[in-house]
Amino acid sequence: MALPVSSCSACVEKRGAELVQLGIRPDRWDRLVGLAGNPNVGKSTLFNRLTGLRQHTGNWPGKTVTRAEGVFAHEGQRWKVVDLPGAYSLRAGSADEEVARDFVVSGVADLTVVVVDAARLERNLNLVLQILEVTDHVVVFVNLVDEARRNGIAIDSRKLSAELGVPVVAGVARDGVGIDELLGVMRESAAARDTLARGIATPTEAKADGGAEAESRAADANRDHGRASLHLCAVEPERPGWDTPLESYDSLAGQTFGRARAIAAKAQVSGLKKAAFAFDRRLDRVLTSRIFGFPVMIALLAAVFWLTIAGANVPSSLLASLLIDSGHGWLKGLAAAVGTPWWLDGFLLDGVYLATAWVVSVMLPPMAIFFPLFTLLEDFGYLPRVAFNLDSVFRRAGAHGKQALTMCMGFGCNAAGVVATRIIDSPRERLIAIITNNFSLCNGRWPTQILIATIFVGALAPRALGGAVSAIAVVGVALLGIVLMLFTSWLLSRTLLRGEASSFSLELPPYRPPRILQTLYTSVIDRTLIVLWRAVIFAVPAGAVIWLISNLTAGDLTLAQWSVGRLDPVGALIGLNGVILLAYVVAIPANEIVIPTVLMLTVAVTPELAGEGAGAGVMFEADGANATARILDAGGWSMLTGVNLMLFSLLHNPCSTTIFTIYRETRSVRWTSVATLLPVAMGLLACFLVAQFWRLA
Amino acid sequence: MTTDPIIALSAFAILALLAAAALWPRHGIWARLVSRLRLTEKVCTEDTLKHIHSCNRRGVPCTVQSLAGQIGVSTTRAAALLATVIEQGLAREGETGPTLTESGEAWALRLVRTHRLWESYLAERTGVAPTEWHEEAERVEHRLSGRDTETLAASLGHPRWDPHGDPIPTSDGELPRAENLTLLNAPLATRLSVVHLEDEPAATYAELLRLGLFLGQELTILSRDGSSLRIDAGFAELHLAATHARNVGVRRVSAETSIQGVPDEASGWTTLAAMAPGESGRVVAISPACGGPQRRRLLDLGVVAGTEIQVELQASGGGPVAYRICDALIALRREQAAFIAVVPQQARAGKRVRAADRPRRDGREAV
Repeated sequence: MALPVSSCSACVEKRGAELVQLGIRPDRWDRLVGLAGNPNVGKSTLFNRLTGLRQHTGNWPGKTVTRAEGVFAHEGQRWKVVDLPGAYSLRAGSADEEVARDFVVSGVADLTVVVVDAARLERNLNLVLQILEVTDHVVVFVNLVDEARRNGIAIDSRKLSAELGVPVVAGVARDGVGIDELLGVMRESAAARDTLARGIATPTEAKADGGAEAESRAADANRDHGRASLHLCAVEPERPGWDTPLESYDSLAGQTFGRARAIAAKAQVSGLKKAAFAFDRRLDRVLTSRIFGFPVMIALLAAVFWLTIAGANVPSSLLASLLIDSGHGWLKGLAAAVGTPWWLDGFLLDGVYLATAWVVSVMLPPMAIFFPLFTLLEDFGYLPRVAFNLDSVFRRAGAHGKQALTMCMGFGCNAAGVVATRIIDSPRERLIAIITNNFSLCNGRWPTQILIATIFVGALAPRALGGAVSAIAVVGVALLGIVLMLFTSWLLSRTLLRGEASSFSLELPPYRPPRILQTLYTSVIDRTLIVLWRAVIFAVPAGAVIWLISNLTAGDLTLAQWSVGRLDPVGALIGLNGVILLAYVVAIPANEIVIPTVLMLTVAVTPELAGEGAGAGVMFEADGANATARILDAGGWSMLTGVNLMLFSLLHNPCSTTIFTIYRETRSVRWTSVATLLPVAMGLLACFLVAQFWRLA
Repeated sequence: MTTDPIIALSAFAILALLAAAALWPRHGIWARLVSRLRLTEKVCTEDTLKHIHSCNRRGVPCTVQSLAGQIGVSTTRAAALLATVIEQGLAREGETGPTLTESGEAWALRLVRTHRLWESYLAERTGVAPTEWHEEAERVEHRLSGRDTETLAASLGHPRWDPHGDPIPTSDGELPRAENLTLLNAPLATRLSVVHLEDEPAATYAELLRLGLFLGQELTILSRDGSSLRIDAGFAELHLAATHARNVGVRRVSAETSIQGVPDEASGWTTLAAMAPGESGRVVAISPACGGPQRRRLLDLGVVAGTEIQVELQASGGGPVAYRICDALIALRREQAAFIAVVPQQARAGKRVRAADRPRRDGREAV
């Protein structure tokens, strides 16, 4: 079935003007279109172009692991777009690829737009040909023609269209080139499909049909077609006889590739001049070399941390003075003027409001710096190189090389890291990646690390070097986390999740210049605010609990004092104290509030500090690191307490969101418990051993 | 109020030792207790049925002693078990020992089906070592319900053969007759293909794996006497004890049905793993030892006969190597690269690979 190729350039401008991006409003639509394609060919970029959404994009294969949906209107029709995870083939291997396969094979879409990478036409056509066996309603979008051109490759889309028998549009999704033409072709193809579907429906039913009835019959015909196609593409093959050879996929793949190769040879215009081709290769030689690979990686990590620590200082204290010092006092005054009862005022303002304000002022600045930096590295294409460099280490630990990618995601947020493990196709190794993701120091735990490192480690160094020494201490803890992640993976591979490292294939994408302004905008708006919102939601109840336990009394002690007294002996044994342990119990919902809780509880249970801070159950920020140090000193803290708190901050249970995400991904109470309790056990053990040997020395 | 560190550390050491004794995998108290408790009435009955089925199928008599040895119970207990299955109408006393009734046969086949499907699952989807497949499947076969088994079969694409080359009974209980050509009775100087590697006893199976044998491998018996065999396995000459030869099932192959597809040594093929950065080669075939999703993934990435592959980058510390395949940079681990047979392209390749550098065709490191 060959459809006419639209090349009506005269009306292109007009069409473009009519694209209305509607974002997520999936209430009603006229057409359903799926975006399929190999990993990392720019499906999400095209999706964002069409819908105006900001589905997260990044230059590494496997970044979209679930389907995203959006809506746009064009020439009076509302289109719903489904952005599918990348797949190399319909014979899916990993969980994210299955999502794509199921959608394409189900036949629910009016149209499938297959996005292909112009520079890798042959392999991309393999998927196109497989999809064409399932459905005819396909439009091929040849993306990244600019990048291909730089590599000396041009695509003759008219020839390609003639070979494939479906419309082909060439363009550059990220610059919006070819989008208008694509929209026109999509519209024509969908219309042609309607005619065809009616054509199928009418002869089988002799009666004249009403419009609605014809529509539903067309839908039935489509579904049947989809079901029939299931056999065609051998997702669930006809049961093979006893005589079929063990592997029959070989010849199938060989044939498809043979065709793809022939078509690519015809459609590619070769012999063009290549521009600066060696750049990628040269950079790769350095970034993955034996000598520079690891140092560059660690230096980049340290640089990102240092920029985050140094850059977040000023805005953090600004926000704190605004929200906590001025804002809180102002609200208290307001409450007093209105005549709020002390308990309501205390519960809402001292408990809930202060906890929220603390989280915002502590978390927002570092995240607003860390996420864009990380996104820049991601867009550039560096993350797959990290996985490449680290694979030999991960393999020896019995883990998957792509765990390095999920580990990097975990540095931002462990819950995001756990979701990202879907790119790992072996269930055993995916479980290992999920369980050990908590060893990536997430941004909720940095404030603790940074503050404690500044007070206890930075103070040992001369004043000028304090900041750098603290940053090194934090990087050290982060590296320790990586080492422990590897150790735990190794341990799990030998015990609960016995097995050998399975196969590993990782595509290293070409480097692409990151778009700085857009990155800044999207990563601040989307990533940062989403994570912050989550933290705020959890900080609210935690703030309430802190206020309550400091103000409810059992006998002559407050609940807080009573619990701290009970926990103190345990704390002493592991080089911490009751205050820290209680703070960790209270702060399970959100790690970010550990430090304020520690300070507040220290003041509440230390008699010498009576009058310090802002009263029972009020979370406050001590005025700078010096005041904090004074409070901690009076609370009986030592260097050992500081070191152990840094250790315990790395090694304790994941936050509640991560625990919930782990449960959602594994659907197993058992593995969720292992992932939750294992780090706590390791943390207690590590702190105990450090404390005892410290005292011994 | 801090405890004396010496006391604390000693107490910890004692606790750690106790915990290790209790929880050590396989030999700890907990592991022993679980394996003891596992032998419930149902498990024993099912194991009895399986044993009778296996004896009947192989045509060897089933005795109280063989049953006791197989499932690890006393002969008294074994006799009681046999009596029970006969009483329940699952088996009857025959001339050469007990045989299964129709219902007993159906039950046994369901167990075998679950067992072999689980082995296929372990082989295809997990990294569990081949020597542990059998033991794992022995545990799981008693636990999966009929529906679980069918779901598993569907998710694996209804395989017909398990990773040892044993047929998997269909859900209707269909099972082809066993072929009985093994290395022990196969003709000499004939091209053979390995179709079955028996997984029991475990020690023999481990030895076969250690030698580098795999399903689908093509080989020729050079000589055979009462104690040992000399085998040309393509990549190397193997010496196999005659007692192990019985556990390798083979089939004759003609030139047309040869699935290896790799030309003779003379034509100069090597594996991708043996090539140095800068060299390139044309794909001949993927070794049959690489199966399941791993093979499909390689094929989908474009590793099919005729594709030209160039070696680009080598990660440090024996890490993966990045290859240019169909214009994309793909990193593969060494074990996978060793599965891919290529003919080096003389024009681009600077130096020829010496035969001594050639890794073995199955991808295992030489032992």
